[in-house]
Amino acid sequence: MSIFTSENKRMSLDEAASIVQDGMTIAIGGGLSWREPMALLRELVRQNRRNLHVVGTAHGVDVDLLCGAGVIDIVEESYIGFEQDFGMAPNFRRACESGRVQVHDTCCHTIIQQLRAAEYGVPFLPVRSVQGTDFLQLHPEYKTMTCPFTGLPLVLVPALAPDVAIIHAQFGDAQGNLKILPPLVADLFFIRASKHVIASVEKIVSTGELSAMGPNVPYFWVESVVEAPYGAHPTSCYPFYAYDRAHLTSYYHAAQAGPEAFMNEYLAPYVFGPASHGEYLSLIGGAGKLQELESWKDGDDAWRALFTAPEGAIA
Amino acid sequence: MNAEPITYTTLPEVMIYQVARTIQDGELVFHGYGSPVPTLAMLLARRTHAAHMVHIEGATYGINPDPPFLPPTSNDWSLDRGSVMAIGISDLFDIAARGDMGRMFLSGVQVDRYGNLNVTAIGDPETPRVKLPGSGGGCNLSGDVQHLTIWTTGHRASTNKAGKRQFRFVKHIDFISSIGHVSRDGISRQDLGLRGGGPDWLVTELGVFDFDPTSHVLRLRALYPDTTIQDVLDNTEFEPVIASEVSTVPLPTPEHVALIRRFDPLRTHQREFKSSDLSRCFDL
Repeated sequence: MSIFTSENKRMSLDEAASIVQDGMTIAIGGGLSWREPMALLRELVRQNRRNLHVVGTAHGVDVDLLCGAGVIDIVEESYIGFEQDFGMAPNFRRACESGRVQVHDTCCHTIIQQLRAAEYGVPFLPVRSVQGTDFLQLHPEYKTMTCPFTGLPLVLVPALAPDVAIIHAQFGDAQGNLKILPPLVADLFFIRASKHVIASVEKIVSTGELSAMGPNVPYFWVESVVEAPYGAHPTSCYPFYAYDRAHLTSYYHAAQAGPEAFMNEYLAPYVFGPASHGEYLSLIGGAGKLQELESWKDGDDAWRALFTAPEGAIA
Repeated sequence: MNAEPITYTTLPEVMIYQVARTIQDGELVFHGYGSPVPTLAMLLARRTHAAHMVHIEGATYGINPDPPFLPPTSNDWSLDRGSVMAIGISDLFDIAARGDMGRMFLSGVQVDRYGNLNVTAIGDPETPRVKLPGSGGGCNLSGDVQHLTIWTTGHRASTNKAGKRQFRFVKHIDFISSIGHVSRDGISRQDLGLRGGGPDWLVTELGVFDFDPTSHVLRLRALYPDTTIQDVLDNTEFEPVIASEVSTVPLPTPEHVALIRRFDPLRTHQREFKSSDLSRCFDL
């Protein structure tokens, strides 16, 4: 963890994303279909980043997108999929099955212990679990030992300090203080363990306003902050918006149809096509779509309706 | 809420009820994400026989939620409705690591005789024939939790294009993502220094099982009104133990069924089931 003291850390998406260099280990904030830093990840794809190693817990479209764009070489996450929505993640599956991506599956508590070791400044932490499973074969870097205090067998997992944590928060100020609303998933562990933190936020507010909200990330851990409203789309970012089920459905079908279809039907129009984040938001349906995704606030019926969105084409 | 009298229950609802019955009052219980069957079982248990259980929600870690509906994705604010607060990811796993998690629920694409589960990869894990989504927190929790309920909606073996039967209950498991009673090397979970008693119940669309206390091998305890011992044997690649008395599972009451239907108006749980199992109904 470095200390970043600049007074003004506001950057554009492309400036912030360029802090990530080829071959780095990155940790992506959020989880499953919630608060993924999608605008920053699309920028990584546009910048043609390669050979990244991604670490974390349970993820979905974020890691699948990066697999489909050929950005990642190693996936060290606990789950990549679309749960009851669509099941398995097509690009991730293809990348693992073809050998394009190395399978370094991990488990939630294991990775948290590794991040905490980095956070605590110690070389490893022990876990009691993992023994008896095949994760030991998949991870030769884990060691086993007999506990000198209890005589019980333990697994030691090494400290893990990602090069860059990529986070999407609800609020931030120009200095880089952040307010992330729960579920926090592993974000705070990524932030405390990583060498660099880049953040996009729904809204940049004054330091006074942020302070009144009870910020949970101090500015000196954050290297850049980008205002990117709807920057988690197509994942959700409450209290602003729910996830875009129709868009994810189209994403899934394009990904499932194969690498060529994914390039032509998804990456070309939605990642490489738009010249700016604003243009992306127009493309996904503009103000009408955004209003629809905000309609979860209108009551349980409106909220529930967002989960039965027609499984058709993107608006 | 639907005021019409409830006259039947579906196989998925009966399975949810069997999973709910494995929960004890007063224990701290957690389900993983993407797990509507145990989610509904926990919501049901806390409103019936286990009023003092602590419900920790699967991805949000909200405490004792009262969701308006079950969405098809788990990190959603709807699932935290009614929770006074949520705990964090490290809080959750630390609770388990120090031995305070009473029960958890896991599933698998491969299940072996000892309740070891594979959700990581079919074939060689480094170049898998099928890469599965992964175990989430299951690997750690299987070694830390006091009691584990396994469920699967895919016990019935399918037949592939080449005419080969594809078993979920396998003799040889390709990857152990979460530990049951005995490791690949024949070491018991006690000798591995793990916590808890391992899986004690396993609920499938064919029956309800526990594990033989001596051999630790899967043991059939109960069938549904429309399944037989032969169904279980035909769809299990290894030989399960058959209990001396195999009963028929108790059906949920209309009140149980009403609760399940109230919590899942989107019928998200049905996405876990084959259509042939969705049409299995039982009169109440």
